[in-house]
Amino acid sequence: MVVVMQERATEAEVQAVIAQLVEMGFDVHRSTGASRTVIGAVGNGNGDPQLLEVQPGVQEVLRISEPYKLASRTFKPDNTVVVVGDVRIGGDEVVVMAGPCSAESEDQVEATAAACKRGGAKILRGGAFKPRSSPYSFQGLGEAGLKMLRAAADRHDLKLVTEIMEVSQLEVIEKYADILQVGARNMQNYSLLRDLGHAGKPVLLKRGISATIEEWLLSAEYVLAGGNTNVMLCERGIRTFESYTRNTLDISAIPVVQKLSHLPVVVDPSHGTGRRDKVAPMARAAVAAGADALIIEVHCDPDHARSDGAQSLFPAQFERLMAELRIIAPAIGRSICVEPVARRGWSR
Amino acid sequence: MTIDELRRRIDTIDRQLVALLGERASCALAIGRLKEAAHLPIYQPAREAEVLENVQKANVGPLDDAAIVRLFERIIDEARRLERLAAESRTER
Repeated sequence: MVVVMQERATEAEVQAVIAQLVEMGFDVHRSTGASRTVIGAVGNGNGDPQLLEVQPGVQEVLRISEPYKLASRTFKPDNTVVVVGDVRIGGDEVVVMAGPCSAESEDQVEATAAACKRGGAKILRGGAFKPRSSPYSFQGLGEAGLKMLRAAADRHDLKLVTEIMEVSQLEVIEKYADILQVGARNMQNYSLLRDLGHAGKPVLLKRGISATIEEWLLSAEYVLAGGNTNVMLCERGIRTFESYTRNTLDISAIPVVQKLSHLPVVVDPSHGTGRRDKVAPMARAAVAAGADALIIEVHCDPDHARSDGAQSLFPAQFERLMAELRIIAPAIGRSICVEPVARRGWSR
Repeated sequence: MTIDELRRRIDTIDRQLVALLGERASCALAIGRLKEAAHLPIYQPAREAEVLENVQKANVGPLDDAAIVRLFERIIDEARRLERLAAESRTER
């Protein structure tokens, strides 16, 4: 790290910082400039940089390396490809996950899964345990919902991603799902993340509503540190001063994260905007910006959905969007669900 | 003098500088052992300030005093590092 002293810092203040760095075990490089002194600290010292920030005379403390290691591209230069059966996320093909916000009934899950497959989705999304903003809103069907989702996914040769809200759900969800989703509200639930580090399934980690990219990558680090290397990062919109859309989808997070990390980046344009008519433009932008996968809410009858109806696409809208994405993806050297028609009707 | 002659002169001076820096470092190591025996910290700011003051007094140009200070700050940084490494290898033993 580099400690920049204030212009008016006294020699005693400079010396106090050097003394502390030496005590932390760093090698110190002092540079006395015309107006201010800069102190470089190199080597394997231990200590909290914030302790230095509050020392008298210190202007700022700059970290040179990222606080996350395993999630960093410095640690692993090649892209991570998360493999789920025959689906690869993080490779050349842009993978689309689609489905209802929550499983509501056999018929709803089946009709929606069929529509998603028809459009070219590879993975079915759907919640059985729902973290709702209000405790009085529909909370999901639990294991019954998981069974419906699994059965529909199998009938249409889709993989299944579903949200896990707490550690106690891990055993039952692992039985049915292929990918475990950590919601935005749980992004900093470190005990859950730690346990998912030992889970046998890939993790889709959504970005917290007001999380910085660094905080998001540190959360991924928790899962990676436990030994689970299959982590995908999902941008789903962040809270800004703008209230017209539900959240502000941070498209720039895609190239930023891809530069900082080797983990695949997934984009959720549904929660990112909260409005059906904004989903397709944001999905197109995400693919153009280099997203490795999309996760989109589709509902066979959005007007009667028990949650997130306003942001769920009608099946026809989803199919139209997929057709557009198939034109955009090749422009940046990627493909997207190459043969949706040929695969129709497959079953495992 | 020609460029070649001047460059040979620089090479000779560099060898002398390296030998002197080595001798200086040996002194620092010896001091480090004595500091440890006397339970004194490696970082002695007052002494470092004194060293910088000495070299500025001795400076007759053409390098200005600030340049001399910058150069000696590097030398002091390396001496401190050497003392730390030596102290660490002593505790490992």
